[in-house]
Amino acid sequence: MKYDKFFAIAKEKGIEESELRVSTSYALNISLFHGEISQYTVEDGSSYTARGIFNGKFGSASSDVYNSKKAEFLVDEIVNNAKVIQNEDPAIIFKGSEKYHKINTFSKTLGEISIDKKIETLFALEKRLKEIDSRIVEVEGVDYSEDVTSISIFNSHGLKLTQKLNYYYLSGAVVAKENEQVKTAYEIKIGNDFSEVNVDELAHTIVNKALAQLGGEPCKSKKYKAVLAPEVMAAFASVYVDHASAESVQKQSSLFIGKVGQSVASKKVTIEDKPLQKGNVFSRWFDDEGVATYNKAIIKKGVLQGYLYSLTTAAKDGVTSTGNGARHGSKIGVEPFALYLKPGKKSQEELFKKVKDGVYITEVQGLHAGMNGQSGNFSLQSTGFLIKDGKLDKGLDVITISGNLVDVMNDIVEVGADSKILLGGNTFSSVIVKKLAVGGK
Amino acid sequence: MISKKVALEVLNEALSTGADYAEIFLEDSIARGVSIENGKVDTSSSVTATGCGLRLLKENRTVYGYTTDLTRNGLLKLAATLKKSFDGERILTVTKFDLVKAKNRNPIIRSYNDVSREEIISLLRIGDDAIQELKDPRIVRTISSFSYHHRDVTVYNSKERWFRRQTEFGRAAYMVVAANEKGFETGFSGPGTQTDISYFTKKLNLKDIALDTVRVALQNLEAKECPSGVMPVIIGNGWGGVLFHESCGHPLEASSSFLGLSCFSDKNGEMIANPVVSAVDDSTIPGEWGSIDIDDEGNPGQKRQLIKDGVLVGNMIDDFNGRRKNMEGNGASRRQNYKFCPTSRMSNTYIENGKSTKEEIIKATKLGLYTVGFNGGSVNPATGEFNFGCSEAYIVRDGKICEPVKGATLIGKGFEILKDIDMVANDLAFGQGMCGAASGSIRTNVGQPTLRISKVFVGGRGGELK
Repeated sequence: MKYDKFFAIAKEKGIEESELRVSTSYALNISLFHGEISQYTVEDGSSYTARGIFNGKFGSASSDVYNSKKAEFLVDEIVNNAKVIQNEDPAIIFKGSEKYHKINTFSKTLGEISIDKKIETLFALEKRLKEIDSRIVEVEGVDYSEDVTSISIFNSHGLKLTQKLNYYYLSGAVVAKENEQVKTAYEIKIGNDFSEVNVDELAHTIVNKALAQLGGEPCKSKKYKAVLAPEVMAAFASVYVDHASAESVQKQSSLFIGKVGQSVASKKVTIEDKPLQKGNVFSRWFDDEGVATYNKAIIKKGVLQGYLYSLTTAAKDGVTSTGNGARHGSKIGVEPFALYLKPGKKSQEELFKKVKDGVYITEVQGLHAGMNGQSGNFSLQSTGFLIKDGKLDKGLDVITISGNLVDVMNDIVEVGADSKILLGGNTFSSVIVKKLAVGGK
Repeated sequence: MISKKVALEVLNEALSTGADYAEIFLEDSIARGVSIENGKVDTSSSVTATGCGLRLLKENRTVYGYTTDLTRNGLLKLAATLKKSFDGERILTVTKFDLVKAKNRNPIIRSYNDVSREEIISLLRIGDDAIQELKDPRIVRTISSFSYHHRDVTVYNSKERWFRRQTEFGRAAYMVVAANEKGFETGFSGPGTQTDISYFTKKLNLKDIALDTVRVALQNLEAKECPSGVMPVIIGNGWGGVLFHESCGHPLEASSSFLGLSCFSDKNGEMIANPVVSAVDDSTIPGEWGSIDIDDEGNPGQKRQLIKDGVLVGNMIDDFNGRRKNMEGNGASRRQNYKFCPTSRMSNTYIENGKSTKEEIIKATKLGLYTVGFNGGSVNPATGEFNFGCSEAYIVRDGKICEPVKGATLIGKGFEILKDIDMVANDLAFGQGMCGAASGSIRTNVGQPTLRISKVFVGGRGGELK
């Protein structure tokens, strides 16, 4: 095998067990600006992340090139890095799961469609964005990206796993202007079946998003009934569910310590980790340690079902890994692969009707700055609309929403039916929150 | 990494279909890092970046690609793929390369390649031991980390220039999670430098920095929630410059400004700020976190005046985006690594000293907010709408700093805020950060003296300010 050299050197230098994660990616990005291809990018890259157990401790190193010199480098760095480690975490290289539920995340047809056809689609999108409404003063850009990724895990126990994924995304961004007020909007279509692309529909979605914000002004600062768009709910839930990581729990920094079997959200909320979801191009059938992934509820009808585990965190608690080992730089952390909020029955329009008077929050910005993931407290720049008499009303200009994630999750009174797969693989719907502090004027 | 002969061959192959510029960006870098969690060494890592980026330009069009196959054949294959984007006749042939000379303001004195992991760990322990010795039961998790990089870049371009740039930089970080019956709070400090490791022992007191991180986390456990509404806000020096970075720095990058996509597009010569505001982006400050001797297009680092006495006078410009205004780049072309196409970016961006003092500003404020610690933020350059989060803040009453508050987020529109800055002090300082944008995550310094914005919207959970 191509990587035998690495495993041979590792053994020779006293590494007890070793693993190599190989990821190769070929990507194409095309951007249009003012009627011409402004940027055309071809990415052909690889990443080789090696780890091994030396004197009972994990050491790791990574490189984006593999050859015999680099194999030697990886092994030496594993040894030197392992030598300084002092934590007592169990170090485990996985022998393999009994069964893997392989899921197809690769579409042959995507690569067969000509580049010209894809470029034609971009030109068509830019044209539609310009002509729908005269208040669209600029098309900031339209982009097409296509990515073919292969992820493999090889280890000294003989485990060999490979998953191939491909997907495209098509996006457009516009600037709308009216009476000196400027607003922007952006939308993205993701998938691996290019025949699903509907340029006209995408263009209208983007333009309508921008136009709807014009004429907006700050609302009165107070608590409102609120509908959160799928993207906003996803942003909140991702931070919240991080607390189900066994690593956070073991390190005393989780809001879910001692909460298994207890209520952590409203009864309306069921959130699953669904790495084996059909039709989701980001599905993963093994994790970054080679453990088979599976679908599982994290929160069911508001009740925390259990923690998510990697091999090391599972060994510490005397349980088995849940297939949630995820590589974070040099270390395996714990995280869900594809969050899925179980949808309800009401359409978004019905949610607005149910709220009657309130706000609809479509976007939050600066999550890294305005969200304290540790405490759950947040104060975020937001975009949205007033809901008046059960219908969307004028846009809201320069507002914040603030609160605590625990309260938001407990205040959800309805989950919508408008499920949407988002970039990265999470699937969320709109929700109604019974009260949310909005800061405006 | 490759010979000049191969570089000539690759560039000429790339130029054969009519590109008016071609550039090879070769990189062989290594990043290492160590972290100590709850007093024990938890991770030690080594990551290399080895590859080649090839950029072709034709008028306002860019074609970019990268590969990790650095053989002659691998690079010629990449050139052959990329040149297909153009279908014209050759207009340019490269015959030689002249070395670009630039001042070496950031010399490598003692390379991180010669510093052992043990020495790095001992350095971190100066601060980490101080935290552990407190034995404060409210401190539930601590992570002390150090990351250090050696970057080795060689560029050949069709302007017949070549240069090799070796840079090193290191950053220490202390992160503390504190908890009590009310919940969790965190504290963070992350000083960095382009000078060698001695900076952390000779110029900084890591013990004080680590203990200050604990102080902020513990203070926030007890602090009240920040009130919400429009109020005067005094922004502390140093890291407070993140406000200018977001609200004004990004919209002044040629990549948005020269494309007509910024709230400051075509406003040069206009009064865009209060006359007390002058601002600069300066990549020539020796050893500073955001400094560069020579940019990715071979232009030397420069001091760029952005705003002078309230008037917009300059931008961060790279050669490519400069084409839209018939301007040369001013040394602002940067990228994270060979995987990214370069564009105009900031370096050390700051508001210059004014004539007031910090004390005068506080004394002159009847009721408002004083913010001294920040989490970072983001901006939409087209609308100018920005946000940034505060990690340490106090209420100011009758000219005095009073109780601490937590959870404040400042939001607004950059072009409005600049006009509302009404007092600027004389205590300029810098803070080190990583800035993420189109060409990846790069080192940037933010900076400013203490200043006051007469009115800005503060988001918080504490109700009305009284």
